[in-house]
Amino acid sequence: MATADFSWNTSTQKFTLAGGKESGQKLSDEILIDNIRWFIIFRWAVIGVLVLFQVVALIASDTLTQLGIREQQHWPLAITAILSAANFAYIYALDFCQPSKYNSPSIIIWVQIIVDLLCLSIVVHYVGSTATPAPFFYILHIALSCIFFSALESLFVAIIVSAMYSIVLLAESEMFFQVSQSVLIDPYFSSESLHKGRVLVWMIALDTLFLIVWYVVSRLTLVIRKHEQYLREAYEQINQAQVAKDQYAMLMTHQLKAPLDAIRSKINLIKGGYCGQVPREIEEVLTRIDRRGHSMSNLILDVLRLERLKTAGRNTGAMEYIDISETIHKCVDKLEPVAKARNIEIKLSIQNFFSCGIPDQIEIMLENIIANAITYSHDNAAIDIVSIVESSDNSAIVTITDYGIGIEEKDLPNIFDEYFYSPRAVMHNQSSSGIGLSLVKIAAGNNHLQLKVTSAPGLGTAFSVIFSNIRVPKEGS
Amino acid sequence: MRQRIAHVDDDPDIRDTVRRILNTHGYEVDSYQTTKDFINALSEPSVVPDLAILDVMVESMDAGLTTYVELHNRFPKMQVIFLTSLGDMILPYFENKSEEWICIIEKPIEPSDLLSIVRDRLGTTKPELSVS
Repeated sequence: MATADFSWNTSTQKFTLAGGKESGQKLSDEILIDNIRWFIIFRWAVIGVLVLFQVVALIASDTLTQLGIREQQHWPLAITAILSAANFAYIYALDFCQPSKYNSPSIIIWVQIIVDLLCLSIVVHYVGSTATPAPFFYILHIALSCIFFSALESLFVAIIVSAMYSIVLLAESEMFFQVSQSVLIDPYFSSESLHKGRVLVWMIALDTLFLIVWYVVSRLTLVIRKHEQYLREAYEQINQAQVAKDQYAMLMTHQLKAPLDAIRSKINLIKGGYCGQVPREIEEVLTRIDRRGHSMSNLILDVLRLERLKTAGRNTGAMEYIDISETIHKCVDKLEPVAKARNIEIKLSIQNFFSCGIPDQIEIMLENIIANAITYSHDNAAIDIVSIVESSDNSAIVTITDYGIGIEEKDLPNIFDEYFYSPRAVMHNQSSSGIGLSLVKIAAGNNHLQLKVTSAPGLGTAFSVIFSNIRVPKEGS
Repeated sequence: MRQRIAHVDDDPDIRDTVRRILNTHGYEVDSYQTTKDFINALSEPSVVPDLAILDVMVESMDAGLTTYVELHNRFPKMQVIFLTSLGDMILPYFENKSEEWICIIEKPIEPSDLLSIVRDRLGTTKPELSVS
C-alpha cells in the first residue's frame, strides 16, 4: 500500500499596499492613526528607558559618577511624567473621544511632534547640547517624519527641529538671555567652556545636517512612494485582468456548453415522450449520446471552476468558520443519486467540528473527493466517510475511503496534476475530465489544508484531509 | 384560466423545448428571443406573466440579471426562474439576495424537473400581480 502526503505551503503574506499615499500629498486619516499608534508604542519604549535610567541612578549612582555621568536634577522624572501623560491623552483622544474639528488625527500627530521635540530639547539641554551626542536624536525625528509624512510636512518638522536646537544653544550661550548650562557628562571629562564661536559652529553644522538629512531621506521616501504607486497601479491592473479573464472564461464556457445543452434538452424531450413513442433501441442510443454530452458538459464546467479557484487563491477569500458535518451532508445529498444508481452505500461516521475556510471551496473539495470515491468504486460497494477530532493539537482529519480500483504507486504523485489520466482509471471511467482532483488540490492549497492519500491497487483508496486550528462545538450547542 | 409563463432565451431549440413541455401541461407560454423584447411586451398588462423563465447571457453577459432586477422592482410578486448553461456558477452574482427569490436551473432541460419547479413556484404565488 502506497501513501503520499500533499501540502501546499503558499505564502500567507498577502500583497497589500497602503492606499492614498501620493507623493507630496496629505496622508489619509487611516494611515495617520496607524502612525499615531506606532509613535505611542515607540514613546512607551522611550519612557521605559528613562525609568531604567532613573532606577540605575538610584541604585548605582557611584558607578555612574565613575563613568563620568554626574548626578542630575529631576529632569528624567519630569520628562517621564510629561511623555506618559501625553501618551494617555493621545490614547484617550483616539479611542474615547469623538473625532471633531479639534480632535483630528492630523492635529494629534502635530501635537505629538511639538511635545516630543520640546521634551527632546529639554533632554538635550540637560544632557549636553554640544558635549554629548544627544542632539543627534533630532535626526531620528526628521527621518521618521520623512517616512510617515509628506515632503512638505517633514520640511516643517526639520525647520522646527533646527529652531528648537538653535534656541537651546542660544539660551545656553547667553547670547540673548542667561540660562545655566547643564551637562550630563562631568565637566572634568568634557570641555565645558561653551564660548559663542563654538556655539555658532555647532548651530550651523547641526542645522545644516538636519536639512541635509531631511533632503536625502525625503528624496528617498519620494522615490519609494513613486515605486509604491507603480506597484499599486500594477496590482490594480492585475485585478482588472483577472476580472476580464473570469468574464472571458464564463463566456467561453457558455458558448461551448450552450449547443450541448440544446442537444441534450432535445434528447430529454424525446425521452420524455413529447415527440411521440420512440423505439427502445433509439432511446438507448440517445442515452449514450446524452451520457457523452454530460461528460463534456462536466469537463467544460470543471475548466471554469478550476480557473475560478486559481483566481480565488490569489485574491483574499471570504474565510469563515464552516460546519464540517453540514458540509459533508450537503455533498452526500448531492451525490447520493449517483451512488444509488450504482448501489453504492455511503456510510458516515462524523465527529463534528468547525474549520476556518472559504465555504464554497471546502464544499468543492469534499464533493470532488467523494465523487472520485464513487466513480472509482465497484458497483454494490460501500464508501466510508469518517471524521475524527484530535483535541490534543486542535486538529481534525476527514477520511473518505473507497474499496475500488485503487491507484498504482507510480501514479500517486501525479493524481492532482491537471488533466492527468492513469490508464487503469480511464478503463474504469471513460468520462473522467482529469480535473476533479486538481480542483481538490487548489481548494486545499487556498484553505491551507493538508491532504494525504493512501492507496493499494485493487483494494481501494483513502483520501484524508487534515484540518488544523479547528473549533469543536460545545455539547448541546 | 391558463397560467401565463414568459420564457426568454436566444437559443431557438431551448425556446421550442420549453414551449413544448409547458404547453403540453396546460400553461400558456410567451417566448422571447431577447430580454428587451420581453420588457417591451410588459407594457401591455394582459401579457404580464405569472412566472418568468430567464436565460442569463442573452444580449449581453448579464442581460438576464439586469432583467431580474427590473422585474423585481416592477413586479415584486412575479416569480422568476433562471435557466442557464452556467448553473450555480452564476450564484456569486447574487450576493446578499434572498434565496427564496432566486431559483436557478442548469441546462439541459429535464422535463420533469422543470415542471416540478414551475408548479412549485406557481403554487406559492398568488394570482394577482400589481403593475407599478
